[in-house]
Amino acid sequence: MNKLFAIIKREYLQRVKTKGFLIGTLLMPIFILGISFLPALMMRSNLGESIRLVVIDETGQLFEPLEAAFSEIKNGKGDAKYQLSQLKSGESLEQGIVSLGQKVNAGELDGILVLPRAILENNQFQYHTKNIGNFEIIQTVERTVSGVVRSLRLNESGLDVELVKKLNNWVSVKTFKIGESGSQEQRAEISFLFSMIMGLLLYMMLILYGQFVMRAVIEDKNSRVVEVILSSVKPFQYMAGKVIGIGATGLTQFLIWVATAVLISMYGLVFVKSFAPEVSQLVLPQVSPWIYVAFLAFFLLGYLFYATLSASIGSMVNSESEAQSYQWVVMMPIILAFFFMFAVNNSPNSLLAVILSLIPFFAPILMFSRILAEAAPLWQILISFVIMILSIWGSLWVCGRIFRVGILMYGKKPNLPEIVKWIKYS
Amino acid sequence: MTAVQLSGVHKSYGDVHAVNDLDLVVTEGQVFGLLGPNGAGKTTAIRMIMDIIKPDSGSISILGQPNSGRLQDQVGYLPEERGLYKKMVVLEAIVFFAELKGISNKKSPPKAIEWLTRLELDKWKDHKIEELSKGMQQKLQFICSVIHQPRLLILDEPFSGLDPINTNLLKDVMMELKENGVTLILSTHLMEQAEKLCDSICLINNGKSVIQGQLADVKRKFGINRIKMRYDGDAAFLDDKSLVAGFDDYGQYVEIVPAEKVKPQLILERAIRQVTISHFEISEPSLNEIFINAVKN
Repeated sequence: MNKLFAIIKREYLQRVKTKGFLIGTLLMPIFILGISFLPALMMRSNLGESIRLVVIDETGQLFEPLEAAFSEIKNGKGDAKYQLSQLKSGESLEQGIVSLGQKVNAGELDGILVLPRAILENNQFQYHTKNIGNFEIIQTVERTVSGVVRSLRLNESGLDVELVKKLNNWVSVKTFKIGESGSQEQRAEISFLFSMIMGLLLYMMLILYGQFVMRAVIEDKNSRVVEVILSSVKPFQYMAGKVIGIGATGLTQFLIWVATAVLISMYGLVFVKSFAPEVSQLVLPQVSPWIYVAFLAFFLLGYLFYATLSASIGSMVNSESEAQSYQWVVMMPIILAFFFMFAVNNSPNSLLAVILSLIPFFAPILMFSRILAEAAPLWQILISFVIMILSIWGSLWVCGRIFRVGILMYGKKPNLPEIVKWIKYS
Repeated sequence: MTAVQLSGVHKSYGDVHAVNDLDLVVTEGQVFGLLGPNGAGKTTAIRMIMDIIKPDSGSISILGQPNSGRLQDQVGYLPEERGLYKKMVVLEAIVFFAELKGISNKKSPPKAIEWLTRLELDKWKDHKIEELSKGMQQKLQFICSVIHQPRLLILDEPFSGLDPINTNLLKDVMMELKENGVTLILSTHLMEQAEKLCDSICLINNGKSVIQGQLADVKRKFGINRIKMRYDGDAAFLDDKSLVAGFDDYGQYVEIVPAEKVKPQLILERAIRQVTISHFEISEPSLNEIFINAVKN
């Protein structure tokens, strides 16, 4: 037992003392902070933005109402966001687009609105711009032009525009999340984003720490330290020491992150307000402490399961490049689980989601993501724990046997029948 | 008392019989040479003694008890392929390896300093291992194998990579350990070293014991005396097959292998009649010769 502890201690201390650990630990909160604050910061930098559009109006009756409608749209500083002007030269439509296009390319103009004569009948107009990826602007332009065209049609048919608008008003949804402490307003996309970030974090940690274990075993094997160690401890003790020591490093990292997250949710708003006073609300969702507990539990279960697999892979090979031909055993299920996560997020209570989230290879990510969606009843979580623990036990048994033989083998990497023989060999 | 006993031990990897029906007895307090060419099965035998791998059949007892993991703490092992954590600090590494042998990290540091001083490494105790030269790492590895005061010490090619000064230093340390009652098993293919250090030897080839016993007995039994002679004149007697089985002319001197049952005395008598002798010496058979003969046969 003391020997196991000595291996764990060495592995842990040697890792925590490295620069890599420090950098990795600091980068993640910065990454999360970035995701949380970036929208606020971007909003700030776009405050005084103005979009210059030239309108080629073939109908001759749309420009003025359009200019009036666009002037209502303000930017962050309270000025009109869109500046419209009309092309009045005698040029043809094509010529106009070419000459204005040059201005767009030169950066003197942001876009050209072409409203053809037939717009009232075929419901189509053109918007020429450099950046067709900016959905926000395109949607605004579409919405505004539609509104103006609709008003014009209503006017022509003699209806009361204001009345029709009022009757036609859009009904919008406000989302509330039902949690332990009742129902709280929360925007759906933030809750989705949060699930994704947590899922991604779990996915990255499982892959990364599995890699660490594999690499550590290969290093020890190559530097021949294993021979000395195995003359003092059992292979199983050694493997367990490696896995637990490296896992403890991951745990340390996670606790640092949780502390950061708690600090942000307590003082983050104050901090942001100090340099961006117009931000009145942080996009961080309310997180129940149980989520952190669940994350921790599924990280540990997933880690133990995958790390023993990784350790046995490391023991079989002589180099990291050789390991690549076995690594899919670990990588594939984790990557698949990550992709299933999107589907599971959409319908966390479907039979497929329940089944997938109980399979040990996927459970750490999928069951956790169902817990985030508050779709997993307690009994399913408990069953998942039991399945995971049994799987870890099985994985320890199989991998321990592979490890015991593999760690002392040098030269040709084993094929499947050989590995099976190692497992059977007592 | 026997320190190590192997009876009918067998170990194969696939079709290869790495160790084949090996019997071995190491008496306590001796320096025992486990000799053999590369690939003879020495390392496999040692790994089984260390309980790193299990034999397919046969029994092994260590320090009078059947082999088990519990005995590992009383055995020290310097493997042929050295292995240290390069990023670790020298002193920390020794303390770590002592912990693996069940010595608490409070007890080991003074002992570690003592050893570092003895092997002239004390200045390096706070350096990272990767900063040490190969020879220094070798000495450090040796310290890691003796820090827990083992009763049995297994050294696999302990002198490889050491300069003559450090080789002597290590040899002295080994003799000190022997005087303190430690049993040493020395695995090597360097026969001169074995000849100087070992009380008993076992020569293994293809996984089997070929020659085994006290060094002096082995030499008497398997060795052929040779004559080293320097002379002037025409040594026609060298071609007499009833007298000389073979000879090597080295220019400065000639080395003669007497024919069967011919005493060196007789050769001297014949030589005096034909040439002027300036040097005549009967040399003991070297372990090297015994080794080469045994392996070739």
